[in-house]
Amino acid sequence: MTKDITQKPLLELKKLTISYRSRSQTRPVLRNVDLSLRHGEILGLIGESGAGKSTVGNAIIGLLAPEFVQTSGSILFKGRALEAMDEQERDALRCRRIAAIFQDHTMSLDPLMSIGAQLTEAIRAACPDLSGKQTRGRSIELLTRVGIESPRERYHSYPHQLSGGQRQRVVIAIALSGTPDIIVADEPTSALDATIQKQILQLLRELVAETGVSIILVTHDMGVISEIADTVVVMRDGNVVEQGSTATLLDHPVEPYTRDLLAAVPRLRISSGKRADPAFAGANNASGDDDEEPAKRAAILVVSGVTKAFGRTSFGWSRKPRKLALQDISLELEPGAITGVVGESGSGKSTLGRIIAGLEIACEGEIVIDGAHVDVTRRRQPGGMLGRVQMIFQDPAMSLNPRLPIGDTLAESVRFGSAPSMDERLAINVIMDRLGLPLTFLTRYPHQLSGGQKQRVCIARALLAKPRIIIADEPTSALDVSVQAEIVELLGQAVSQDGISMLFISHDLALVQALCSSIYIFQNGSVVDGGSPEFIFGRSTNAYTRCLIDARPERFTI
Amino acid sequence: MLSIVTRRVSQALLLLLVMSLIGFVGIHSVGNPVFNVVNIETATVEDIRNATIALGLDQPLWRQYVLFMGNVVTGDFGTSYVYHQPAFKLLISKLPATLELAVIAMALAAPGGVLLGLWAGRHQGGAADRAILRGSVLALSIPSFWLSMMLILAGALLTGWFPSGGRGATLSFAGQDWSVLTLDGLRHVFLPALALALPNVALIARLARAGTIEVERQDFIRFCRAKGLSSRRILFRHTLPNISIPLVTIIGMQFGGMLAFAVVVETIFAWPGIGKLLIDSIQLLDRPVVMATLTFISIAFIALNAVVDLLYAVLDPRVRLST
Repeated sequence: MTKDITQKPLLELKKLTISYRSRSQTRPVLRNVDLSLRHGEILGLIGESGAGKSTVGNAIIGLLAPEFVQTSGSILFKGRALEAMDEQERDALRCRRIAAIFQDHTMSLDPLMSIGAQLTEAIRAACPDLSGKQTRGRSIELLTRVGIESPRERYHSYPHQLSGGQRQRVVIAIALSGTPDIIVADEPTSALDATIQKQILQLLRELVAETGVSIILVTHDMGVISEIADTVVVMRDGNVVEQGSTATLLDHPVEPYTRDLLAAVPRLRISSGKRADPAFAGANNASGDDDEEPAKRAAILVVSGVTKAFGRTSFGWSRKPRKLALQDISLELEPGAITGVVGESGSGKSTLGRIIAGLEIACEGEIVIDGAHVDVTRRRQPGGMLGRVQMIFQDPAMSLNPRLPIGDTLAESVRFGSAPSMDERLAINVIMDRLGLPLTFLTRYPHQLSGGQKQRVCIARALLAKPRIIIADEPTSALDVSVQAEIVELLGQAVSQDGISMLFISHDLALVQALCSSIYIFQNGSVVDGGSPEFIFGRSTNAYTRCLIDARPERFTI
Repeated sequence: MLSIVTRRVSQALLLLLVMSLIGFVGIHSVGNPVFNVVNIETATVEDIRNATIALGLDQPLWRQYVLFMGNVVTGDFGTSYVYHQPAFKLLISKLPATLELAVIAMALAAPGGVLLGLWAGRHQGGAADRAILRGSVLALSIPSFWLSMMLILAGALLTGWFPSGGRGATLSFAGQDWSVLTLDGLRHVFLPALALALPNVALIARLARAGTIEVERQDFIRFCRAKGLSSRRILFRHTLPNISIPLVTIIGMQFGGMLAFAVVVETIFAWPGIGKLLIDSIQLLDRPVVMATLTFISIAFIALNAVVDLLYAVLDPRVRLST
């Protein structure tokens, strides 16, 4: 990067201002954004939701929705203003000079067209002079380059036959088809598992080294930035807060917002010893200082030999091998503590949570909740169990009834929980106060609340049912980092104050380390490792556990 | 695969059985067909009794049904009480008229509706979109008899471009008379086909429009744009296949409806099709013909459903490659 310092910037944004225009209002979403990108540079654009970072990316690709209008400022590509070009010139730039990679690999490819056809189509759009044979050759070459194994066979595959990582590789191949100067990558790895994320970032870095392409990386993840970006631009509410080289900015942030952002990222501690993280101090009270103490008490939840298979079980006609979602799972939950379940997507961790909560049935196995046996193979739960186990889901926007005011949602929880309270109002008011939710929210609807507020409502809903056990399934994954820390603290407090036990399902090792008193590692429906955080992160020799730990960005590992 | 076929066939047979039972009991409870067979003014009690025995109507109903089913298995639906022809032969003779009308109507409606829907969805909120939406509401709410009469007024009486009814000149092919094989016949089929097609154009256009708006919002269409594809290519190679499953479903079902229930249009344009045959036979309590026609309609719907399912697999690799 330093060798290019004398070069003219490839792309420059000068006082770029973009407004959202609807019939009733005009609201700026970007204000005077300045940035510049050099050849072969990876520029990280980081910010929380609503920061305008994706708008910057879309403006550069030229894919802004019609409601977004560039009101002032300029985007200069090799010294030429993009907004001065006509539609044809913009189309010609797309893919050939400025390519794009989107976040959701499940949605970036046409499900009805083979990946080869989609790649060929892009190559043909970029280089119409190539013959059919050359086009095909080039697509095989690109598939090979992005690390698709046996590309000749894969050429005819459809998107649903590929894994998430492979799909994102195909998307990258398509982006490369026009040998672009710039790739705008909008959260390219956010939907992927940590180990896959690491491979994809590695691939992007290699491509930059080989082809000299520049990348604008739009992300909310400090870890991703620390792994591959050369320079960072921190954005907030449509403004650039701070920018500079990655090393300087991460080590010596100047602006308070950048400092907060960095402090909110959970850090993984590899060395054993004190595991208390200042950000989650509240959570640690739960397990107490003495680690041996809770283990002596009888477990509140005992799961033994739970197995679940997907696929048809009805007539026994189908010869298809049934896919085992869970295989002979056994675990215990300590009372008044947080137990972590960690695994990548498809490991069965969420399925287990849903089985414990009685939302799904298993094929065999036994669950004992607070001394009472539960038949996991039947859908009906005995009446007394109602409300004993509560769930908090990943996406608060999807887990609240959009047509029900918050107050009604919470009242339901009191009325049908395990301990129907005589004074509904009082119970709700107390919990609202405790979770820092103003009482005016009671008459509001979910869409009027922010993501963090909605998740607080979900926690309130779970607590109001007076549960013995709360199952928190990735409760912070859909939230911004600064909000994540608050929610984690609230969960920790709930456990310590109300004596609730919690099963914390997560893919985030640092979070689990900070919160949990014991941890189970899931892989492909089985428990592969388990123990105290000290054991898992310090002494465990399990290959998969080590692999998960290694996939963490080094910058945030202590 | 084989088990799917066996299951589908057994389901179809069960459906046919249930349908025949309902049809049989239904037509029986409407009235006694004997009074349509004998001359009510001159017939003696003796005549009526003889006719009843000749038609087998003196037997209990379950017995009649069993006899009927026994004959059906050998391919015999009985002889029409009214036309004194085998009911099956009568049905077959009406088939060409119905088929050509329905096929031409759908050949107009499907591409027309899909193109209008794609156009409207692509330019959501624009003038063309609003015009297509309003036009479709109009086309769906106009009663078909009125539409047919207006088409006769405009296309036949005022301009004289098309004949106002009948099948025109026909040509014999495969033992049946076909209108589509002559120019005059084609001129005759155009107006009734248009009358059948217009409401379907509106229906298909609305469905295609809704699908287009939904699909165009998705990321892969945005990614196609980022790939530098022309919007025309995106529309026809990416959007169209992705909206085609609901379209294929509705086209299949509407086509079945055209075969069976185009009675209003067939009546107004004096087009001797199956819909008209069914209604006439029900009025005359001509049980063999009613049963033959109902069976044909059921088989047509079952076959269309199977074709639609097959098309799902052709269109969507996720369906095709999952088994």
